Amino acid sequence: MPSIRLPLAAAALALAATSAGAQQLAPSPTLDAIKARGHLECGVHLGLPGFSFANDRGEWSGIDVDYCRALAAAILGDATKVKFTPTSVQQRWPVLQSGQVDLLSRNTTITFSRNATLGVNFQGINFYEGQTFVVRKGTATVPKDLDGASVCVAAGSTEEKNAADWAKENGIKISIINFQKNDDAIAAYDSGRCDAYTAGIGALAGQRIKLKDPDNNIVMTETISNDPQGPTTRWGDERYQLVVRWVLNGMIAAEALGVTSKNVDEMKAKSQNAEVRRLLGVEGGFGAMMGLSNDWMYNAIKQVGNYGESYERTVGMGSPLKLARGKNELWTKGGLLFTPPFQ
Amino acid sequence: MTLAATLRDRKVRDVLAQAAVAIGLLALLVYFVRNASENMLKAGIASGFDFLWRQAGIDVQFQLTGYTSASSNLGLLWAGIVNTLLISAVSIAAATALGFAIGVARLSRNPLLSGIAGAYVEFARNIPLLFFVLIWYFGVVASLPAPRASIGLFGIAFLNNRGLTIPLPNEAAPFGHALLALAAGIALQLAVVAWARRRQERTGKAFPVWRSGLLLVLGIPALAFIHAALATAWDVPALRGFNYRGGFVLVPEFVALFAALTTYTAAFIAEIVRAGILAVPKGQIEAAKAVGLSPSQTLRLVTIPQALRVMVPPMTSQYLNVVKNSSFGAAIAYPDVVSLFMGSALNNTGQAIEIIAITLALYLAISLAVSAFMNWYNARIALVTR
Repeated sequence: MPSIRLPLAAAALALAATSAGAQQLAPSPTLDAIKARGHLECGVHLGLPGFSFANDRGEWSGIDVDYCRALAAAILGDATKVKFTPTSVQQRWPVLQSGQVDLLSRNTTITFSRNATLGVNFQGINFYEGQTFVVRKGTATVPKDLDGASVCVAAGSTEEKNAADWAKENGIKISIINFQKNDDAIAAYDSGRCDAYTAGIGALAGQRIKLKDPDNNIVMTETISNDPQGPTTRWGDERYQLVVRWVLNGMIAAEALGVTSKNVDEMKAKSQNAEVRRLLGVEGGFGAMMGLSNDWMYNAIKQVGNYGESYERTVGMGSPLKLARGKNELWTKGGLLFTPPFQ
Repeated sequence: MTLAATLRDRKVRDVLAQAAVAIGLLALLVYFVRNASENMLKAGIASGFDFLWRQAGIDVQFQLTGYTSASSNLGLLWAGIVNTLLISAVSIAAATALGFAIGVARLSRNPLLSGIAGAYVEFARNIPLLFFVLIWYFGVVASLPAPRASIGLFGIAFLNNRGLTIPLPNEAAPFGHALLALAAGIALQLAVVAWARRRQERTGKAFPVWRSGLLLVLGIPALAFIHAALATAWDVPALRGFNYRGGFVLVPEFVALFAALTTYTAAFIAEIVRAGILAVPKGQIEAAKAVGLSPSQTLRLVTIPQALRVMVPPMTSQYLNVVKNSSFGAAIAYPDVVSLFMGSALNNTGQAIEIIAITLALYLAISLAVSAFMNWYNARIALVTR
């Protein structure tokens, strides 16, 4: 009976094809491209101490840079295989949209309209930022003191809009002077053109260090907005987006579970905690589900560290910025960081 | 005529070839537009022109159109266009005047004067414009005092590193009347000049037109302005908090960009002026001398009218350059169309293709308008051959 035999044979063949490979994966052109070229292309800020900053030897450091290194370690097994592309406020979207970089990890605020109209997806939050002002000592202490002030800002940033909204809401008149680059705006503030420069509180902590006389300038502690920031990818290629999202979750989970770059080998060998075992690839085969090695988070934590380690080293107490954890603390310790379970 | 014979016809073949090229170009354009819009749709990037009517939501420090943060992106574009046209117009006028002076100075028989003018031209022509803009900007801002140490001018205008704050009249009507008086004065003076020329042609008697000019264009309108100024109340700037409030602020970004465009373009215009003057045959000047014209009359009546014919076409390119170079204002936060529309609006909406296309079309339209005007002027002053 050939009419039955033919479909049966086809079904058997299909079954054989699926079970021959360990698992059938959705196609991911981005992951394939990263593996083929052997490095990750990461779009970062032009230069913001604590977030993404290249020293005089061209070595990048910062919390956004660390995330890209962890992602490279997860995908390629080597945290050094990242090429950083510095992008300005204006360049970032075209650079991401055109496929020049695999992702942006650069102090970019997550907003509805960006998500809805730019063809970009935000894969989680690696820094809860809030906008405030840097002013010369003795001129103002809280944002509302700024009535009548000239404020320098980068054109096209969320800060530019936030500042206008905030001033209108509070009946305050400020004159906003919008520059093309953050650095131009800071230089103008430093030369006395403006009474204040506005950006995120974390960004300002880093930028204050670059001023001519940092001690004569203060960053206000009161913020006028909430600006969550995190790694950003293009639409499409869900499997790659999955990797980007869960490497960030993995770094936060590692801190919550007490896995650090120092004890990761020990944890991998001895931990009886099921979530730790799944995170580090001892069981569960989670890496393979995304088309990565099961060592993916082990590599990231071993080579870069968990979220807390990265935070302290780049913007926290172990850095010149000395930012307290604040909102960027685990939810169990009074912060906002939370990750879904590795289950 | 057979088909083969028609195809062999030179004229028919030319038309066919041109039609083929035109259709090919159009097809290419359609292909690019469709390709871009399909790819953007696939990538989830918004397209279309709806964003023009959406709220812009940003503040602009220097604008003349009544724009507020509640205005639309179209309003933002308009504010940018007006700022671009404003800076271009004043820079063109000032660069022309300065360029004429330098060009004439370069031809002077005084070696010090011509030496300085020559050195200036060589210096300015060989430095990138961006450098000029930044030097002027940081130079202007750095050399001016902070608001609290402002330089007061008669207690009503104040100069500091936030700009020049001048008082504004509370009512505009009396000034409108004064402007009318000025317009009437200019019209009258033009009539006097025309009458004086006709009389001179008829009788040979010269009429001192500058005297009537002084009275009609300067004296009477000045009186009208003084009257208007006294008749209305003034919004005089006063120091409150961080800066002076009230009045109108001429921002340092405007001053720096104006100074940079003027000093840079003047060097090129000076060379055009020098070339134009040197192009006038020497015999013309000798002839003018021979009929007893004074050196200033020779310059005004013989040299310049003939030099203009040589100067207008290259001058047009310089004027177009000023319009295009005004986009350097984006580097120093002068809110021109590039800074506002291609900077802020592009980033806030992400609609790069639409915004860049609109900006491109705008610069093209402005440039074509300038060029059309200069062509008309060129035709008017061209040598009339009989």
